[in-house]
Amino acid sequence: MTSAQEPITPPPARRDLLLGVAIVAVAAVYVRALAFTPIEARQGAAQKILYIHATAAFIALYVAFALMAIASILYLWLKDEKLDRVAESAAEVGLAFTTVVLVTGPLWGKTIWGAWWTWDARLTSTLFLWFIIVAYSLLRGAVEERGRRARYSAVLGILAALLVPFIHLSVYLFRTLHPMPILLKPSAPSMPAEMQVTFFSAFAAFLLLFAALLRSRYRIATLRDLVANRDQELAA
Amino acid sequence: MTPDNGAFATAAYVLAALVYAGYVVSLTLRERRLRQRLARLDSPSRPPSNRPAGA
Repeated sequence: MTSAQEPITPPPARRDLLLGVAIVAVAAVYVRALAFTPIEARQGAAQKILYIHATAAFIALYVAFALMAIASILYLWLKDEKLDRVAESAAEVGLAFTTVVLVTGPLWGKTIWGAWWTWDARLTSTLFLWFIIVAYSLLRGAVEERGRRARYSAVLGILAALLVPFIHLSVYLFRTLHPMPILLKPSAPSMPAEMQVTFFSAFAAFLLLFAALLRSRYRIATLRDLVANRDQELAA
Repeated sequence: MTPDNGAFATAAYVLAALVYAGYVVSLTLRERRLRQRLARLDSPSRPPSNRPAGA
Protein backbone atom coordinates (compact mmCIF):
# COMPACT_ATOMS: atom_id res chain seq x y z
CA MET A 1 0.00 0.00 0.00
CA THR A 2 1.47 3.34 -1.00
CA SER A 3 1.37 6.30 1.31
CA ALA A 4 -0.92 8.28 -0.96
CA GLN A 5 -3.62 5.59 -0.83
CA GLU A 6 -3.87 5.55 2.93
CA PRO A 7 -7.28 6.96 3.93
CA ILE A 8 -7.00 10.07 6.09
CA THR A 9 -9.85 11.58 8.06
CA PRO A 10 -9.73 15.39 8.13
CA PRO A 11 -9.24 16.64 11.70
CA PRO A 12 -12.28 18.64 12.90
CA ALA A 13 -11.94 22.44 12.89
CA ARG A 14 -12.82 23.75 16.33
CA ARG A 15 -11.38 26.00 19.00
CA ASP A 16 -8.30 24.48 20.62
CA LEU A 17 -9.25 24.22 24.29
CA LEU A 18 -5.99 22.52 25.27
CA LEU A 19 -3.96 25.37 23.77
CA GLY A 20 -6.12 27.91 25.61
CA VAL A 21 -5.59 26.11 28.94
CA ALA A 22 -1.84 25.85 28.26
CA ILE A 23 -1.54 29.58 27.51
CA VAL A 24 -3.38 30.45 30.75
CA ALA A 25 -1.14 28.04 32.70
CA VAL A 26 2.03 29.55 31.19
CA ALA A 27 0.77 33.07 31.95
CA ALA A 28 0.14 32.02 35.58
CA VAL A 29 3.68 30.63 35.77
CA TYR A 30 5.09 33.92 34.46
CA VAL A 31 3.25 35.80 37.22
CA ARG A 32 4.34 33.36 39.93
CA ALA A 33 7.97 33.26 38.76
CA LEU A 34 8.42 37.00 38.29
CA ALA A 35 6.28 38.37 41.13
CA PHE A 36 5.90 35.70 43.82
CA THR A 37 9.12 33.67 43.82
CA PRO A 38 12.01 34.89 45.97
CA ILE A 39 15.11 36.33 44.34
CA GLU A 40 18.21 34.20 44.75
CA ALA A 41 20.73 36.10 46.89
CA ARG A 42 23.94 35.54 44.87
CA GLN A 43 22.63 35.50 41.28
CA GLY A 44 19.88 38.07 41.67
CA ALA A 45 16.69 38.14 39.57
CA ALA A 46 18.52 36.61 36.58
CA GLN A 47 18.31 33.24 38.36
CA LYS A 48 14.58 33.30 37.52
CA ILE A 49 15.57 32.56 33.92
CA LEU A 50 15.96 28.99 35.20
CA TYR A 51 12.17 28.51 35.23
CA ILE A 52 11.87 29.05 31.48
CA HIS A 53 15.35 27.96 30.36
CA ALA A 54 15.69 24.61 32.14
CA THR A 55 12.05 23.62 31.62
CA ALA A 56 12.34 24.31 27.87
CA ALA A 57 15.57 22.25 27.80
CA PHE A 58 13.99 19.31 29.71
CA ILE A 59 10.95 19.25 27.44
CA ALA A 60 12.94 19.64 24.20
CA LEU A 61 15.58 17.03 25.01
CA TYR A 62 13.79 14.45 27.12
CA VAL A 63 10.24 14.71 25.76
CA ALA A 64 10.21 16.14 22.22
CA PHE A 65 13.37 14.60 20.79
CA ALA A 66 12.81 11.33 22.69
CA LEU A 67 9.33 11.16 21.15
CA MET A 68 10.79 11.99 17.73
CA ALA A 69 13.30 9.14 18.07
CA ILE A 70 10.74 6.58 19.32
CA ALA A 71 8.24 7.50 16.59
CA SER A 72 11.03 7.33 13.97
CA ILE A 73 12.17 3.87 15.11
CA LEU A 74 8.58 2.65 15.12
CA TYR A 75 8.01 4.17 11.67
CA LEU A 76 10.98 2.30 10.20
CA TRP A 77 9.54 -0.88 11.70
CA LEU A 78 5.79 -0.49 11.08
CA LYS A 79 5.78 1.97 8.13
CA ASP A 80 2.72 3.71 9.59
CA GLU A 81 2.40 7.29 8.30
CA LYS A 82 0.90 8.44 11.59
CA LEU A 83 4.22 7.70 13.29
CA ASP A 84 6.06 9.79 10.70
CA ARG A 85 3.67 12.67 11.42
CA VAL A 86 4.27 12.30 15.17
CA ALA A 87 8.07 12.35 14.63
CA GLU A 88 7.84 15.38 12.34
CA SER A 89 5.58 17.25 14.79
CA ALA A 90 7.72 16.43 17.84
CA ALA A 91 10.85 17.57 15.99
CA GLU A 92 9.38 20.94 15.03
CA VAL A 93 7.88 21.66 18.46
CA GLY A 94 11.16 20.53 20.04
CA LEU A 95 12.96 22.99 17.76
CA ALA A 96 10.80 25.83 19.13
CA PHE A 97 11.63 24.80 22.72
CA THR A 98 15.36 24.50 21.88
CA THR A 99 15.22 27.99 20.36
CA VAL A 100 13.92 29.26 23.71
CA VAL A 101 16.82 27.48 25.44
CA LEU A 102 19.35 29.10 23.11
CA VAL A 103 17.76 32.55 23.38
CA THR A 104 17.38 32.64 27.16
CA GLY A 105 20.67 30.91 28.03
CA PRO A 106 22.97 33.74 26.86
CA LEU A 107 20.96 36.28 28.90
CA TRP A 108 21.57 34.21 32.02
CA GLY A 109 25.19 33.50 31.04
CA LYS A 110 25.98 37.19 30.60
CA THR A 111 24.92 37.94 34.19
CA ILE A 112 26.71 34.95 35.75
CA TRP A 113 29.76 34.32 33.54
CA GLY A 114 30.13 37.81 32.08
CA ALA A 115 29.87 36.32 28.57
CA TRP A 116 26.91 35.82 26.25
CA TRP A 117 28.30 32.60 24.86
CA THR A 118 31.14 30.17 25.41
CA TRP A 119 32.08 27.26 23.17
CA ASP A 120 31.93 24.67 25.91
CA ALA A 121 30.60 21.13 25.44
CA ARG A 122 27.04 21.68 26.74
CA LEU A 123 26.35 24.87 24.80
CA THR A 124 28.05 23.78 21.60
CA SER A 125 26.36 20.37 21.48
CA THR A 126 22.95 21.96 22.12
CA LEU A 127 23.54 24.43 19.28
CA PHE A 128 24.68 21.52 17.09
CA LEU A 129 21.47 19.63 17.87
CA TRP A 130 19.45 22.75 16.97
CA PHE A 131 21.19 22.85 13.56
CA ILE A 132 20.53 19.13 13.00
CA ILE A 133 16.83 19.61 13.69
CA VAL A 134 16.79 22.59 11.30
CA ALA A 135 18.43 20.28 8.73
CA TYR A 136 15.76 17.65 9.52
CA SER A 137 13.05 20.21 8.72
CA LEU A 138 14.80 21.26 5.50
CA LEU A 139 15.16 17.61 4.48
CA ARG A 140 11.43 17.09 4.95
CA GLY A 141 10.75 20.05 2.69
CA ALA A 142 13.23 18.92 0.05
CA VAL A 143 12.08 15.31 -0.54
CA GLU A 144 8.71 15.11 -2.29
CA GLU A 145 8.05 11.38 -2.31
CA ARG A 146 6.38 10.67 1.03
CA GLY A 147 7.76 7.22 1.72
CA ARG A 148 11.32 8.27 0.99
CA ARG A 149 10.92 11.52 2.95
CA ALA A 150 9.67 9.59 5.97
CA ARG A 151 12.52 7.05 5.79
CA TYR A 152 15.30 9.62 5.38
CA SER A 153 13.97 11.85 8.12
CA ALA A 154 13.43 8.89 10.48
CA VAL A 155 17.12 7.98 10.11
CA LEU A 156 18.21 11.60 10.66
CA GLY A 157 15.82 11.93 13.62
CA ILE A 158 17.28 8.86 15.31
CA LEU A 159 20.85 10.09 14.73
CA ALA A 160 19.94 13.53 16.13
CA ALA A 161 18.43 11.99 19.26
CA LEU A 162 21.72 10.17 19.93
CA LEU A 163 23.13 13.59 20.86
CA VAL A 164 20.70 13.93 23.79
CA PRO A 165 22.56 11.60 26.23
CA PHE A 166 25.81 13.29 25.21
CA ILE A 167 24.34 16.73 25.98
CA HIS A 168 23.08 15.47 29.35
CA LEU A 169 26.43 13.95 30.30
CA SER A 170 28.59 16.74 28.82
CA VAL A 171 28.79 18.60 32.13
CA TYR A 172 30.23 15.48 33.77
CA LEU A 173 32.53 14.48 30.89
CA PHE A 174 34.08 17.87 30.16
CA ARG A 175 35.11 20.91 32.12
CA THR A 176 32.35 23.39 31.29
CA LEU A 177 31.04 26.71 32.53
CA HIS A 178 27.51 25.34 32.45
CA PRO A 179 26.42 24.32 35.97
CA MET A 180 25.78 20.72 36.99
CA PRO A 181 22.11 19.66 37.19
CA ILE A 182 20.40 20.90 40.34
CA LEU A 183 17.21 18.91 39.83
CA LEU A 184 17.72 16.06 37.36
CA LYS A 185 20.31 14.17 39.38
CA PRO A 186 20.39 11.10 41.61
CA SER A 187 20.54 13.06 44.89
CA ALA A 188 17.88 15.43 46.26
CA PRO A 189 17.29 18.74 44.38
CA SER A 190 19.56 21.56 45.59
CA MET A 191 16.90 24.26 45.56
CA PRO A 192 14.64 25.80 48.24
CA ALA A 193 11.10 24.40 48.39
CA GLU A 194 9.45 27.64 47.22
CA MET A 195 11.60 27.72 44.10
CA GLN A 196 10.95 24.02 43.49
CA VAL A 197 7.20 24.69 43.49
CA THR A 198 7.69 27.39 40.84
CA PHE A 199 10.00 25.16 38.83
CA PHE A 200 7.67 22.15 38.81
CA SER A 201 4.62 24.37 38.10
CA ALA A 202 6.54 25.82 35.15
CA PHE A 203 7.45 22.33 34.01
CA ALA A 204 3.79 21.22 34.13
CA ALA A 205 2.59 24.36 32.31
CA PHE A 206 5.19 24.10 29.55
CA LEU A 207 4.52 20.38 29.21
CA LEU A 208 0.86 21.26 28.65
CA LEU A 209 1.97 23.84 26.07
CA PHE A 210 4.13 21.20 24.40
CA ALA A 211 1.16 18.79 24.21
CA ALA A 212 -1.07 21.50 22.73
CA LEU A 213 1.52 22.55 20.14
CA LEU A 214 2.26 18.93 19.25
CA ARG A 215 -1.44 18.24 18.68
CA SER A 216 -1.78 21.37 16.59
CA ARG A 217 1.29 20.51 14.50
CA TYR A 218 0.05 16.95 14.03
CA ARG A 219 -3.25 18.34 12.68
CA ILE A 220 -1.28 20.38 10.14
CA ALA A 221 0.70 17.31 9.02
CA THR A 222 -2.57 15.37 8.61
CA LEU A 223 -4.20 18.18 6.62
CA ARG A 224 -1.12 18.53 4.41
CA ASP A 225 -1.15 14.81 3.57
CA LEU A 226 -4.88 14.97 2.94
CA VAL A 227 -4.41 17.88 0.51
CA ALA A 228 -1.61 15.94 -1.22
CA ASN A 229 -3.94 12.91 -1.56
CA ARG A 230 -6.71 15.06 -3.06
CA ASP A 231 -4.22 16.65 -5.46
CA GLN A 232 -3.11 13.19 -6.58
CA GLU A 233 -6.69 12.03 -7.01
CA LEU A 234 -7.46 15.06 -9.18
CA ALA A 235 -4.31 14.59 -11.23
CA ALA A 236 -5.11 10.90 -11.87
CA MET B 1 25.19 41.83 47.82
CA THR B 2 22.44 40.73 45.43
CA PRO B 3 23.18 41.94 41.88
CA ASP B 4 20.63 44.13 40.14
CA ASN B 5 20.02 42.21 36.91
CA GLY B 6 16.22 42.10 36.72
CA ALA B 7 16.32 43.52 33.18
CA PHE B 8 18.03 40.33 31.95
CA ALA B 9 15.31 38.16 33.49
CA THR B 10 12.58 40.35 32.01
CA ALA B 11 14.25 40.26 28.58
CA ALA B 12 14.52 36.45 28.74
CA TYR B 13 10.83 36.06 29.66
CA VAL B 14 9.76 38.46 26.90
CA LEU B 15 11.93 36.72 24.27
CA ALA B 16 10.65 33.27 25.30
CA ALA B 17 7.06 34.53 25.07
CA LEU B 18 7.78 35.95 21.60
CA VAL B 19 9.20 32.62 20.38
CA TYR B 20 6.22 30.64 21.68
CA ALA B 21 3.65 33.20 20.49
CA GLY B 22 5.29 33.39 17.06
CA TYR B 23 5.15 29.63 16.77
CA VAL B 24 1.47 29.52 17.80
CA VAL B 25 0.67 32.18 15.16
CA SER B 26 2.63 30.23 12.53
CA LEU B 27 0.71 27.03 13.36
CA THR B 28 -2.64 28.85 13.26
CA LEU B 29 -1.93 30.44 9.87
CA ARG B 30 -0.63 27.19 8.36
CA GLU B 31 -3.69 25.26 9.54
CA ARG B 32 -6.06 27.94 8.23
CA ARG B 33 -4.34 27.96 4.82
CA LEU B 34 -4.51 24.16 4.55
CA ARG B 35 -8.19 24.08 5.53
CA GLN B 36 -8.99 26.73 2.89
CA ARG B 37 -7.09 24.74 0.27
CA LEU B 38 -8.87 21.54 1.25
CA ALA B 39 -12.24 23.29 1.09
CA ARG B 40 -11.41 24.54 -2.42
CA LEU B 41 -10.40 21.03 -3.51
CA ASP B 42 -13.61 19.55 -2.08
CA SER B 43 -15.83 22.29 -3.46
CA PRO B 44 -18.23 21.09 -6.23
CA SER B 45 -17.83 24.43 -8.03
CA ARG B 46 -14.15 23.79 -8.51
CA PRO B 47 -12.99 25.07 -11.93
CA PRO B 48 -12.28 22.34 -14.49
CA SER B 49 -8.74 21.05 -14.66
CA ASN B 50 -6.37 22.56 -17.22
CA ARG B 51 -4.87 19.15 -17.91
CA PRO B 52 -5.36 17.94 -21.49
CA ALA B 53 -7.94 15.18 -21.93
CA GLY B 54 -6.47 11.74 -21.43
CA ALA B 55 -3.38 13.06 -19.66
